[in-house]
Amino acid sequence: MKTGKPSLNTIKLLENISLGSAVFAVVLCVLIIVNFLQVRRADPLNSPAMTVLIEKLQNDPANDQLRQEIRTLDLLARKAFFTAQWQVRTGGYLLFISILVLVSCIKAIELIRSKLPEEPAGKPVMFWETRILKRNWLVYSGIALVVLTLLLAWLTHNDLGNAGGREQGAGNREPGTVNRESGSGSRDTATTSPDSRVTGHDSSSSILHPASDYPNMQEVKNNFPCFRGPGSIGVSERTGIPTSWDGTSGKNVRWKTVIPLPGYNSPLIWNDKLFLSGASESKREVYCIDAVSGKILWTSAVDKIPGSPSQVPGVSKETGLAAPSLATEGRRVYAIFANGDLIALDMDGKKVWAKNLGMPANHYGHSSSLIMYRDILIVQYDQRSGPAVMGLSGKTGEQLWKTPRNVKISWASPSLVTIGKRIELLLAAEPCVASYDPLTGKELWKLDCISGEVGPSLAYANLIVFSVNEYSTLSAIRTGENPKVLWENNEFLSDVPSPVANDDFLFLVTSYGTAVCYDATVGTKYWEHDFGTPVYSSPMLAEGKIYIMDKKGLMHIIKAGKEFSQISQCPLGEGSFCTPAFTNGHIFLRGDKNLYCIGK
Amino acid sequence: MRRIKSIPAKGLKTPAGTTARTFILTFFSVLFSTAMAVRRFPKPEFETNYIQPSTQIPVPRAELLAYLDVFVLLVSLSIVTWLILKKRSRLWVFAMSVFSLAYFGFYREGCVCSIGAIQNVSLALFDNTFVLPLSVLLFFILPLVFTAFFGRTFCAAVCPFGAMQDFFAFKPQALSSRLNTVLGILPYLYLGLAVLFAATGTDFIICRYDPFVGIFRFNASFGMFLFSGILLLSGVFIARPYCRFLCPYGVLLNWTSRFSRRHLTITPKECIQCRLCEHSCPYDAIEVPVTSKSPESRPVRVRKMMILTVFVPFIVLVFGYAGSRMQDTLAGVDSRVKLAKEVMALSGKQDAGYGMQDAGYKMQDDSYEIKAYKASGKTESQVYSEASAVVKKFYIGGWLFGGFIGLAIALMIGGRIMPVYRTDYVTSKGRCFSCLRCVDYCPVKS
Repeated sequence: MKTGKPSLNTIKLLENISLGSAVFAVVLCVLIIVNFLQVRRADPLNSPAMTVLIEKLQNDPANDQLRQEIRTLDLLARKAFFTAQWQVRTGGYLLFISILVLVSCIKAIELIRSKLPEEPAGKPVMFWETRILKRNWLVYSGIALVVLTLLLAWLTHNDLGNAGGREQGAGNREPGTVNRESGSGSRDTATTSPDSRVTGHDSSSSILHPASDYPNMQEVKNNFPCFRGPGSIGVSERTGIPTSWDGTSGKNVRWKTVIPLPGYNSPLIWNDKLFLSGASESKREVYCIDAVSGKILWTSAVDKIPGSPSQVPGVSKETGLAAPSLATEGRRVYAIFANGDLIALDMDGKKVWAKNLGMPANHYGHSSSLIMYRDILIVQYDQRSGPAVMGLSGKTGEQLWKTPRNVKISWASPSLVTIGKRIELLLAAEPCVASYDPLTGKELWKLDCISGEVGPSLAYANLIVFSVNEYSTLSAIRTGENPKVLWENNEFLSDVPSPVANDDFLFLVTSYGTAVCYDATVGTKYWEHDFGTPVYSSPMLAEGKIYIMDKKGLMHIIKAGKEFSQISQCPLGEGSFCTPAFTNGHIFLRGDKNLYCIGK
Repeated sequence: MRRIKSIPAKGLKTPAGTTARTFILTFFSVLFSTAMAVRRFPKPEFETNYIQPSTQIPVPRAELLAYLDVFVLLVSLSIVTWLILKKRSRLWVFAMSVFSLAYFGFYREGCVCSIGAIQNVSLALFDNTFVLPLSVLLFFILPLVFTAFFGRTFCAAVCPFGAMQDFFAFKPQALSSRLNTVLGILPYLYLGLAVLFAATGTDFIICRYDPFVGIFRFNASFGMFLFSGILLLSGVFIARPYCRFLCPYGVLLNWTSRFSRRHLTITPKECIQCRLCEHSCPYDAIEVPVTSKSPESRPVRVRKMMILTVFVPFIVLVFGYAGSRMQDTLAGVDSRVKLAKEVMALSGKQDAGYGMQDAGYKMQDDSYEIKAYKASGKTESQVYSEASAVVKKFYIGGWLFGGFIGLAIALMIGGRIMPVYRTDYVTSKGRCFSCLRCVDYCPVKS
């Protein structure tokens, strides 16, 4: 064995090498990170300079010099990008080598410097104390773990609920939720329709969830929960809708039921039950009708409501005292009347809560229908004084939010649409079409494009909202953070029926009975057709057909296409102002006095 | 591909020629199965001599070479075990760890590894359509078999992860008992999650979040490199942090090692109680002599043990329940559930609001998953039904996972109630990595 001196020199040398390696490694590390971040940020194909040049070339396609410049810049950008990538990779290798040298040197120093072990100073380890401490900490950790897990599970549960966790229909349910339900003993209760031929519900989706406060989307889609169907946009996904009937002769009429009190509200359907309201000057009633037999299952009198005004509101004959359609989310049904009485009934007709919103200052009479978002009842209350939209708890009637609106009186009804990942509540009233967050009532956007006494509700398809009003204009609005008018037209305008649209076409019916079809995107008029009879009912789009009910009760069924093509005309046998409701294979029509179920 | 083993009926004689033919056919079909595989969609050819990068890392290995890896593993285990138990040479063990790091780490790019093999085995146990390669099974079993007899010699110098961390353990510091105890639960959690995700066919999280393969392959995300760097740097002061506080395979090795009869001993003969080895272990794996009585009287300990025994099912149930409640969170990792959520969102069903037009999704760029879904021709119902099945699995899996953690904690507590008596300094069979550091400290030589 040699003396210790050469070892010391060796140690010194190794220390210097390791120090150098360490410094080199740190510098490399910094450079690699900086370079990496640069590479990550760089987008060689979309640099601002390149974009400018490309735009220039688009304006001047024959400019070969510009084309060459783009190619050169593109090559440079790519070279820079790949060089940076190469630098990161090479730097990685160098870093690895430097760390290898560093570790080797330190290990070598350890080996050379290895010395004889010494007896540890201090007392020996207190075994039992440590053991008990460890045991206690295991108990604490276990408790903390369970609490943390449950907390996390609880938080997650809420998150899923917000993100669609209520989707529980067998075929279209949010998977996380459905399986939690099934896994914990399958609390789902299948409510089978007594006659699915009439109700038209998919058995897979007619599942009620007593635990949840609002239905999943499939349930909503399978029903007809408000005016103009789900979302209140005049589109129904139901199939097998009849195209031929005669209310006078009874051809293809399954049943017909007299509705005790008049009302222009349209029927809505939840599972096997239809809901309507009617009102006279002395009383107001909500009706529940069996969709299978047409029998009135229950009638609920709307009375003894705190704050309900004693005087009868002044309304026009064409609006009446029960113009707003009801709304339901399958747990309760909600109705509003011309005097501001608002009531929530359970599905058996028992009053859950009721209140009066104040006599509407409305010279024709309040007619904006109700709509539900989750378990929030949304009321558009655009009156002369204090116009506002409000969200009430469906369960308690408590006001969750109220957003004042700087608008004139409106007779239109709210719509709920999915725009991107956002659900938006759309309202129309002079001077604007406005969008709100239905959860909070926060205004999302608005666009001044409508004027007058707005009666028609909005149409929506393919990110475009359509608004129309007589003496105003027909506007197609591209939605988004910065909405803009895509096109306008004022040749045909409506003051009562609402328009309806699909991805390609917009269909509009004027109050004097002319149907018009426009290209939804650019506004080109494809056809117009005069039915010769006024129309107050809003057209509905189902199975590629437009159903237009005129005031005399004649249903005009036309093909929803570029060319006008009338499929059939079906008389009801009495006048009708109301909008039809659909289930699979059936259509429900409210005439002046009767409710009809059309279909086998 | 399912491999079918031909079993002749009892009492029937199989002609030798048939057996030989069957063997030869099977052998060559297995041998050339990889070579004969043809791409369904061949790669395009370029005139510029562009070399197509491999889409799989590491490149799939011929079956014969996979068995070569098994052979290397077996030989390495044998040599390391011999070096530890017979040669008792730290230097040679260190040299072997350099070899393992080079071969299993940098040459084999960290795959296949015994730690990751847990997932293959789990998936094979729960999914009978998954074919578990024999080489992978052997990678899973061989270290356990060696450990059952000789202690964790695999960790000492065969596992490339352990080897890499061991190199960085320059200034190991003893951790407090509290921290050691709390962090000691993490490997159980990781093991439970890894098995759960693998068994449900969700993901191989051990591989996905492997902190070292990025280094072996010189290729990883920035986040993973950062994680590796932090782990190695912390390893300078906390020796082998991954092995001690994360490694899921370490849990199995810990259990198995407790039964080893020929485990490494600090001293080759009788312990002379010199205390020189007391702080020699950077992994806190040396058990001190316990000759004093427990401060708790025997009746107290018996009562505690009885209470624990009664409460074990309750603890398991509580943890199981907590685990089952996590089904949403856990299932959210699964690609099928993610796809279902995405499909649902695009169909306007994300929210139970009544916006019925589905046009909204046109606003967004479709993800690759959605494009693939659209191209697959699957219906929404199919997607949801697949997702539902996954979530259901997670519900059951959540119970099992939670129950496992509860049981592990209950047993750990129970273990700390049991009486202890020993006169010598010994290695903790469960925790000791057989690195031989303590041996160097022992003045008693064979």
